[in-house]
Amino acid sequence: MICKKCKNSGSVTVRKEHMYCDNCFMLNINHKFRSCIGKNKILSSNDNVLVCLTGGKSSTVLLDLIFNGLSQDSHKKLRMVPFFLHITGLGEKENDITVAELIIKQCQSYNFNVYIVNICEYYFQRNNTLPSVNSVTDVHNWTELNSNTNLKSILGKMTSTSSNDIEMKIKHDIFIRAAKQLKCDFIFTAETTTTLAVNLLSNLAIGRGSQVQDDIGFFDNRDENIKILRPMKDITEEELHHYIRIKNLIEISVDTIRGNSLQSVIKTFVTDLQENFPATVSTVCKTADKIGSVDKNTNRCKFCKSNLPEKSDKITAIDATIFSRTVSNGQPPIANRNTGAEEQEDIKMSLFPFIDNYFCYCCSKNYLEAGLHDSNFFEISGSKNL
Amino acid sequence: MPVPCRTGCGKNAMLKRPKTGDALCKDCFFWAFETEIHFTITKAELFKSGDSVAVAASGGKDSTVLAHVLKTLNQRFNYGLNLMLLSIDEGITGYRDDSLETVKQNRDDYEMPLKILSYKELYGWTMDEIVAQIGRKNNCTFCGVFRRQALDRGAAMLGVKCIATGHNADDIAETVLMNVLRGDIARLKRCTAITTGSEGTIPRVKPLKYTYEKEIVMYAHYKKLVYFSTECVFAPNAYRGHARALLKDMEKIRASCIMDIIYSGETMAVKEEVTLPSQRTCIRCNFVSSQEVCKACVLLEGLNKGLPKLGIGKSSKAKKMLEEYNAQQTNYKESLQAAAKELDDVQSKKELCLSDSKNCKSGLCKGKTKLNRNSSINSNDYTNSSNAKECCSNCSGSCERIKVNADVNNTKVNTLLEKYVINETNIAKVNGEGTLCNPSNSDDNLNNSDDEEHTHAEYIDTHIEQEDETCSASCGKLGSLNIGF
Ligand SMILES: [Zn+2]
Ligand SMILES: [Zn+2]
Ligand SMILES: [Zn+2]
Ligand SMILES: [Zn+2]
Ligand SMILES: [Zn+2]
Repeated sequence: MICKKCKNSGSVTVRKEHMYCDNCFMLNINHKFRSCIGKNKILSSNDNVLVCLTGGKSSTVLLDLIFNGLSQDSHKKLRMVPFFLHITGLGEKENDITVAELIIKQCQSYNFNVYIVNICEYYFQRNNTLPSVNSVTDVHNWTELNSNTNLKSILGKMTSTSSNDIEMKIKHDIFIRAAKQLKCDFIFTAETTTTLAVNLLSNLAIGRGSQVQDDIGFFDNRDENIKILRPMKDITEEELHHYIRIKNLIEISVDTIRGNSLQSVIKTFVTDLQENFPATVSTVCKTADKIGSVDKNTNRCKFCKSNLPEKSDKITAIDATIFSRTVSNGQPPIANRNTGAEEQEDIKMSLFPFIDNYFCYCCSKNYLEAGLHDSNFFEISGSKNL
Repeated sequence: MPVPCRTGCGKNAMLKRPKTGDALCKDCFFWAFETEIHFTITKAELFKSGDSVAVAASGGKDSTVLAHVLKTLNQRFNYGLNLMLLSIDEGITGYRDDSLETVKQNRDDYEMPLKILSYKELYGWTMDEIVAQIGRKNNCTFCGVFRRQALDRGAAMLGVKCIATGHNADDIAETVLMNVLRGDIARLKRCTAITTGSEGTIPRVKPLKYTYEKEIVMYAHYKKLVYFSTECVFAPNAYRGHARALLKDMEKIRASCIMDIIYSGETMAVKEEVTLPSQRTCIRCNFVSSQEVCKACVLLEGLNKGLPKLGIGKSSKAKKMLEEYNAQQTNYKESLQAAAKELDDVQSKKELCLSDSKNCKSGLCKGKTKLNRNSSINSNDYTNSSNAKECCSNCSGSCERIKVNADVNNTKVNTLLEKYVINETNIAKVNGEGTLCNPSNSDDNLNNSDDEEHTHAEYIDTHIEQEDETCSASCGKLGSLNIGF
């Protein structure tokens, strides 16, 4: 078999049909990474960029691609000033430390420094102080946190689907705050095509369809000043696998998606698609690039910062759900519509608390679910002043 | 331990609503079910007093329940609607007999006028005649294309104000997922709309948009409505099959995901800078089309001119064929043969079934899987629906849509009831009740039908064009006429 680019003997097969030699394969991945940053023309020369690492495959490759880019000759040089961040504290303590230590080692092999941040400490603190670089020691005292700020136990009581969602939103919040602290206007996260396809379908499944543009597209524009970019979006899991093998990189498998959740079901589904119908996965991502939102309101969800919907008379799934509860309560809602207005509000509050004013659809449902347990952490977190 | 009905009516609850989990008695469930549909109709202003409305009737559970509920609500709330049933008969010997019988039963039960329009009336050709012309290979193309337009043509003939279809919440959520998988942004935008139809066309409305399929089945069961249940042993199409399998798995984890997906669809928009294929009307027949001349008209032209394969391939090919035909009227025979041969060559290359043989239930596909199995469902190398044809080649005539026998069918209802019925004595009664055409007992093989549906829907890699030009439209789905998405 010969490489489809240079006709030398091939060594890497992509999608079971395209053959490359190692060299051409690596050039191709580098090209995908650089063109993804380049063609969107958002980044300008020597911007500070916060790079968020997980220790997993895509994070490992991103780190390597950045290092390569920075060490290129003048006209090919990637012009950015990277800062590195890793969020820890939701897994088993020993495992968390192993991962954090690996990331520190990875970064140091490139002469980079990395901030290891404990999710609970950082999320609930007010002053946004980052710990000293390359240190895991002072970030693992979260067990002493009180029950209101112990995210791990709070999320443990919720459904896996909601926990997965909330964890992602909290991490994004921390990314933004840390970026402000480090004077970065940009953030890189390492989602691949495969991950983004999972995220798109997950968004749909939990009612975040109108947020697809920010959550799955090339960049997240929800913060006024700081953009979250996804430079790995054209690279697949399969390609990561080859990249890591060829460069002999060390990664650690970090699966943060909790099982028995919508996200885990979707992940299994997408993995099968990737295996059998790889083009469908990229189609899913291309679809995401065309999706916008009807929510043009400038009010934002207090938790996920997405635009809230405009008031509208059009019937939606919210109306239908509220009405289902209303009829199950046995009220004759049509006959004397006006008498039940207060009850209607109560029912709405019992199904979609603070929706449209403070929360988007999904965050409202998450809030409801969290509220069934301890004092609601939504209130003491980013979404205060309810 | 009896659970009281949540409405406070004083009776004991007999079922848990699949949609909300609320425990209700039978009467309150009926009332809740109907009142919700009434709410949808009034809030979305689907009808105006005095309107003539055609209920697209297939004899399946969705359209049967729709007809029943519309009839009930029309009387209860004085909608002032002139309701009628509209069915399409493809003219395939034996194909519609049972379902049309069921529709006739609906007509008598609900005292609604029924119009059965045949392809012969609509297009001048029956499917049997088309098969005779074209052979079995390509008839699914005709069947699918004609079916998509049949309701519009039928409604125009009846002079109705709108068409009500039986699409339920599950169908819509599934369609959202399907359109994402196939990257069909235009349909993604349209598919959650409760009313569809561009200017100058007869709008279609979906009164069951927020109604769960499970509740429809339970309503039909407890109301003892007669419906005909058919299922295709083939996947409707690869994308819908994937979407359905995914939705089923997700529903097990969070039942509300059906509503959540619909909400997602409702609040999504197409970015302004994305240009959608414009919808226009066909210059010949005036029905909705994406091209100057709609596919149905091209196919008809072909049939009428004795060039039946016209329109099956690419449209550029069709154009060329027509040009040749017109230019060489004198050399009619030669050109026909040449064109047919040309098409044959193209077709034969395409017609290898892409189904993974181990998954294709047809048995027809064995040994036809030479084309690489990994070629994606999105690959543009194989245009048109031709790849699906092997699977469906004898769809017409003896369509693989099998009549799900009453055993399996009752099993399905039973499985559902077992899960949602509160009082166990109710389950025992189920077998005897006449909800289905041919009810009979089946205490063994519970779950059978669910599993079956699952496996055959998965991973069948048939390529389809943008439109579902396969038999899927007819035999893919229980109940509703599956058109219009
Ligand atoms: Zn090469
Ligand atoms: Zn939100
Ligand atoms: Zn009751
Ligand atoms: Zn036409
Ligand atoms: Zn067929």
